[in-house]
Amino acid sequence: MEIIKNYLIVENKRWIIGSLLIAFLLLLPIAILFIKLFSEPGKNFSYLWDTVLIDYTFNTFYLIFITSFFTLLFGLFPAWIISNYRFIGRNFYDLVLFLPLAIPSYIMGFTYIDILSFTGPVQSFLRNTFPVLASYFNIDYLQIETLGILLGLALYPYVYTAARVAFSLLGSNYIDLSKSLGLSTIKSFYKIILPLSRPAIFSGLFLVFMEVLNEYGAVKYFGINTYTTGIFKAWFSLGDIGTAIQLACLLLLVVFFFFVLEKISSSKTKFFYETNSPVQRLLYVNKDKLLFFHLVCSIPFILGFFIPFVFIVNNVFQTYSSIDFVRLFTLSFNTIFVSSLSSFIIIIVALFFLFVEKISKTKINTIISHLISLGYAIPGAVIGLGLIMLFSNIMDSFFSVSLIGSFYVLIYAYVIRFLAVGKSPIKSSLEKHPESYDDTGKNLGLGPFKLLQKIHLPINKFALISAFILTFIDIMKELPITLILRPFNFDTLATQTYEFAIEEMLPLSSSYSLSIIVIGSMLLLFLKNVINKQLNVS
Amino acid sequence: MYLEVKNLVKYYNKELPIIRKLEFSVKKGEIISFLGESGSGKTTFLKCIAGLEKIHSGSISLNNVVLNDKGVFVKPQDRKIGFVFQDYPLFPHLNLEENIVFNLDKKYHKNLDYILNLTGLKYFISRYPHELSGGEQQRTCVARALIREPELLLLDEPFSNLDSAIKESMREEIYKIIKETNTTTILVTHDINDSLNIADKILIFKAGIVQQYDKPEKMYCEPANCYCAMILGDMNKLFIGSETYYVRPEKVEVVKKSNHKIKVEKCFFQGREYKIKGRYNNEIWHFFSNKSINENEEIFIDFKKIDLIYFDPVCKNFFK
Repeated sequence: MEIIKNYLIVENKRWIIGSLLIAFLLLLPIAILFIKLFSEPGKNFSYLWDTVLIDYTFNTFYLIFITSFFTLLFGLFPAWIISNYRFIGRNFYDLVLFLPLAIPSYIMGFTYIDILSFTGPVQSFLRNTFPVLASYFNIDYLQIETLGILLGLALYPYVYTAARVAFSLLGSNYIDLSKSLGLSTIKSFYKIILPLSRPAIFSGLFLVFMEVLNEYGAVKYFGINTYTTGIFKAWFSLGDIGTAIQLACLLLLVVFFFFVLEKISSSKTKFFYETNSPVQRLLYVNKDKLLFFHLVCSIPFILGFFIPFVFIVNNVFQTYSSIDFVRLFTLSFNTIFVSSLSSFIIIIVALFFLFVEKISKTKINTIISHLISLGYAIPGAVIGLGLIMLFSNIMDSFFSVSLIGSFYVLIYAYVIRFLAVGKSPIKSSLEKHPESYDDTGKNLGLGPFKLLQKIHLPINKFALISAFILTFIDIMKELPITLILRPFNFDTLATQTYEFAIEEMLPLSSSYSLSIIVIGSMLLLFLKNVINKQLNVS
Repeated sequence: MYLEVKNLVKYYNKELPIIRKLEFSVKKGEIISFLGESGSGKTTFLKCIAGLEKIHSGSISLNNVVLNDKGVFVKPQDRKIGFVFQDYPLFPHLNLEENIVFNLDKKYHKNLDYILNLTGLKYFISRYPHELSGGEQQRTCVARALIREPELLLLDEPFSNLDSAIKESMREEIYKIIKETNTTTILVTHDINDSLNIADKILIFKAGIVQQYDKPEKMYCEPANCYCAMILGDMNKLFIGSETYYVRPEKVEVVKKSNHKIKVEKCFFQGREYKIKGRYNNEIWHFFSNKSINENEEIFIDFKKIDLIYFDPVCKNFFK
């Protein structure tokens, strides 16, 4: 009775019911997996358990460890230097250090293996110039350690971005305080700044974990067995969906473990950036440090963007005559179409959920908002599997066949997987605005829809643009979901790049990878401009 | 009565109501100051009046219309109540004029020139919020509330974000505007000077209960309890027999000879006179003097019996 009474006095009921329905649709595929886990036991799970499961587990965690180490190495130090020091080239580095985000991990993997191969430019140069050294470099680079370093190069921008914002927003007070307490700059960094920025850095690192768990293209190319490749193998090679589901649920447990770790990290210590304190003053650099700073800032950019970019451009020139421009344009159009449409839907859904959470102030909406964000932590292969299970079980075969492999399901999967990417910038922008805007709006006669339309949409427009660009880039690079759920005869730049590369026809994939990189880079540079307008940090 | 609040109860945690049985009324055109410590529920009370928070029991009626009781809840947008928030929430994507006329009914557009003149904002209409000073932002918020001819104006700590240099002039300006428009107003503040300068009546609020609701001068001279006495200014403690009395610093005089000898601990120059801190019967006393007095000097003070205030013994705890 109490519940019914409470429900009756809840405001904005229609908005809340709408959000519950959409959340149900978003969580359903994952729920189906867990239901299936108990109803359809896999035939080959005990075989996997006896043979390769330990290998999968070790490889997955080892890869996460190496990648995390290198993302921290490539991300943290440039972020600290750029947030604190003024030197020639600083603005350039600040602009280009984001750019590896435009290169999908699998392209990074394919490209570097080609560069380092026996016929590649590095070994050819060494053979011609330093023949003695050449034999030391003629090794098998398809190793998990190499992949870890390459993933580190592709994914360090997540840590760089989080750390860069955290270091800049800390303000000068903490630095001044630590100096007045007698700490050197290096000690201030380790004892004050790093612990204070830990939640932000860990949230960046959490994204790296999730990307590694979700990685399929590069891991498959390197021949390393992880949970994600295991799911594909059980499903497509062994034809055993039950085992694929069991592996997917195991992977979800790993994801859940990292999720809890991230929550513990951010809840144990609550920090509030002193946004009202003066922005960190930039220090001039001594000449003796200048070279070191340039090295620290340029290495991630050169290795993470410049070298693969130049190599791919070179490949494009060399294979220019064999480029199928019609196909390239068709696939570019497909990619832009599906990424734009999905991103647009994601932004609307994300804004809807965040707005309902804001106006309803009920616990259930806060919980839902957290739950639907979990999609980003769920690997694409698991989401794909969940959706196929869902449609093949609840509908008759005619409808399920026509739905699976349609744009609807592909976009549905993208929304589940990338909703958190779209939500993040909108959420932080909404939180920046005081609650009194809503109260003032209501006091001046606005209902919820007009409040959204007349106040929140215009004042959060930069965040909406940022969210659109980030989801667009992520969807454009996405591989496992697209491979599993794309409509028949439908290719994107990502799938075409992967298919050529996996068939060892890397030069032919270059024009497609270059298109992904160019579109992504242009959007990232535009995004940087938007962020600079939105967030005036030094 | 114009505004009537009866037995209002509001809580977030049922065991610890933030407002318990609040009851008071306001006449048309009066300015009421709601005085209480930070976190005492003053803003929550204003939000209840405005309909931004729902009440758990009691009733609120304005101009003979029930706004909220057990069976009635008038939506915030239908209440004709203007609300000026503490942090001056002007919408950043709109300029000053657009902020003032935001979602404004056509019939009130005729008030724009009058309000702009009254608030002195005529020359800033195309400026955006970040181009306005704190005082200009505050006046814009007041203009935005007043242009709608509200039946009641709610001001939530309107001067707390202003520096002391402009606070006084802003207080006077806002007072002038409110009186000129004859708008019934509730001003919430924790600053006694705001209350004494503007309010026709002061309501002192503590632990969710009205402690006293009266005219400023009566409240100052005849506080209902020691909390009200303390919140309105310093009090000096005096023991006569087994009873404890209190006297205001300005009622204490420095004299050549009396029965009350005090040792001066500090002398502060305050522009017009000196404020003296001294120790009398092991209690700290404050009072004023025309002349500077040296530290550790022993002087005589006196006061009239009529100025002594007595409270029940339970209330003494508030002074600790």
